[in-house]
Amino acid sequence: MTKTSEKRLWIIDVLMLPAGLIAFFPFYMIIVNTFKTMQDAAKSPMALPSKWIFTNYVQVFQETSIIRSFWNSLTITTFSVVLIVLIGAMAAYPIVFNANRLTRFAMLYLLAGFMIPFQTTLIPLFQLMSDLRLIDKIYGLIILYMSGSVFVFFLMMGYMKSIPRELPEAAVIDGCSVWGIFWRIIFPLLKPITITSIIFQTMWIWNDFLAPMLFLNSSSKSTLVLQIYRAKSEFTVNWPMFMTLTVITLVPIFIFFIIMQKHIVKGIAAGAVKG
Amino acid sequence: MAKYVRQLQYLLFLLPILAIYSLFTIYPLIKSFFLSFTNFDGYTKAYDFVGLKNYVRIFVDDAITSAISYTLFFTFGKALLVTLLAIPLAMILDQKFLTRNIHRAIFFFPSIPSGLLLAYIWGFILAPISSGILNTVLRELFNIGPQPWLADPLLAKLSTIVVATWAITGWHAVLYLAFLQSIPKDYYEAASIDGANRLQQIRFITIPLLAPAMTVSVMLLLTGGLKVFEIPFALTKGGPGYETYSITQVIVQRGISETQYGLASAMSIVFFVIVLAIAIFQVTVMQRREQGLQ
Repeated sequence: MTKTSEKRLWIIDVLMLPAGLIAFFPFYMIIVNTFKTMQDAAKSPMALPSKWIFTNYVQVFQETSIIRSFWNSLTITTFSVVLIVLIGAMAAYPIVFNANRLTRFAMLYLLAGFMIPFQTTLIPLFQLMSDLRLIDKIYGLIILYMSGSVFVFFLMMGYMKSIPRELPEAAVIDGCSVWGIFWRIIFPLLKPITITSIIFQTMWIWNDFLAPMLFLNSSSKSTLVLQIYRAKSEFTVNWPMFMTLTVITLVPIFIFFIIMQKHIVKGIAAGAVKG
Repeated sequence: MAKYVRQLQYLLFLLPILAIYSLFTIYPLIKSFFLSFTNFDGYTKAYDFVGLKNYVRIFVDDAITSAISYTLFFTFGKALLVTLLAIPLAMILDQKFLTRNIHRAIFFFPSIPSGLLLAYIWGFILAPISSGILNTVLRELFNIGPQPWLADPLLAKLSTIVVATWAITGWHAVLYLAFLQSIPKDYYEAASIDGANRLQQIRFITIPLLAPAMTVSVMLLLTGGLKVFEIPFALTKGGPGYETYSITQVIVQRGISETQYGLASAMSIVFFVIVLAIAIFQVTVMQRREQGLQ
């Protein structure tokens, strides 16, 4: 049994090779061109460089504000994600462990807006952001992203229901405060769903283009994605330079992927099985 | 007394989310609905109620009708293609072949970077000029002249679907994979003892048990597809003409760039109704299908 199936399995390796190559090709293409001169890239875009050059990388760091954009992206993503997860987890706590008419109403109120797409609220949101003087402010965007906490709240609520009620009840008898129960008992138990929430929110905010495009104007406040967008017109002729900028911006998300790989897959699975 | 203090403390946990959600989701939603009946331009304080005029204008504005039809075409095209590719891909990636982990990573990775970046990368491949990479390949291998991948109305639409499909298929394959791995192995053993071949096993065990995964996957594909913006925007800027103009791009363009707040708000409300209707219809139909299959 095992011998025949092993024999058959190497056929999959052979058959999947071209599929994998095609899927990977776009990444190969941009990486390889970052080591070419403009002429070399235009003449033979797919071949390996006739002469490997590394000046594109040096130039990107010298001529663009990529490091600044990286810090902006990192600041926005970190603060937004931490706040989103805390707000979402906190909100689920009274709804699960102190169910009454008021908390039930709050839950239904949050549920009502769950399906509302960002696009539907965009026009008044733009006005609101300018009325509150939050346009072109890093913290303005962080505040805006905090609405992502509603999604996290639903994940947290689902997970929290699996925590035995006896845990917080015993703590109440021991004289623990409402505040203390959450931080000392409930929040540490939420670790798996917290990781899932962090991954999804990080990927959304780090990659977002629409909100930074609309709400950040000055180039000193660009996120990485926004900088790529703005560099597109600047480097229309200089392909290799633009590709180099793109490859460098792929590095952080690639590292994130490597570190989080296991959790990402688990997160997708958990989300899907529950949904 | 102590009881009220406790209740008040619980309430404090809900306060941040209620404040954020009310200010940044519910208030703008209500205002969007309100503005959709006015001719507000964002600057003048005075504005008039114009009744359903904005809603009528949606259907005579070429850019908007084009955006609605493109967005629907893109959404269903991508959902169909991803589903047809992701299920077999998941079944293959479930086998224990040598390069399995490498292939899982390769197919999954495109779903990690921003859609804008991915579209720009594909821009080099699909460039309609003769030096475009796909056109170079076609010339060298098959002696075919340059194709206008992003300049021809139909080709441009299909190109955006192909790029989006390439980007997200691996993600959905992982979702299906999670369900495949939860199917008990003895189902297959029992079936093969009863004489069912591999295809029959897929037809009568795998597919029915994947039905719930399909409901989730298709729902994510449809709601995500309707919100499409970055891929066509970065590949074609919405062109040629308005052929790949997305609903999101219309809302940004008509609303924020041209300050036609009333019209753009009406568009937003129509968009919300489309998203809601499709989501409810899809989930109802597919859940019924799940029950039928089991």
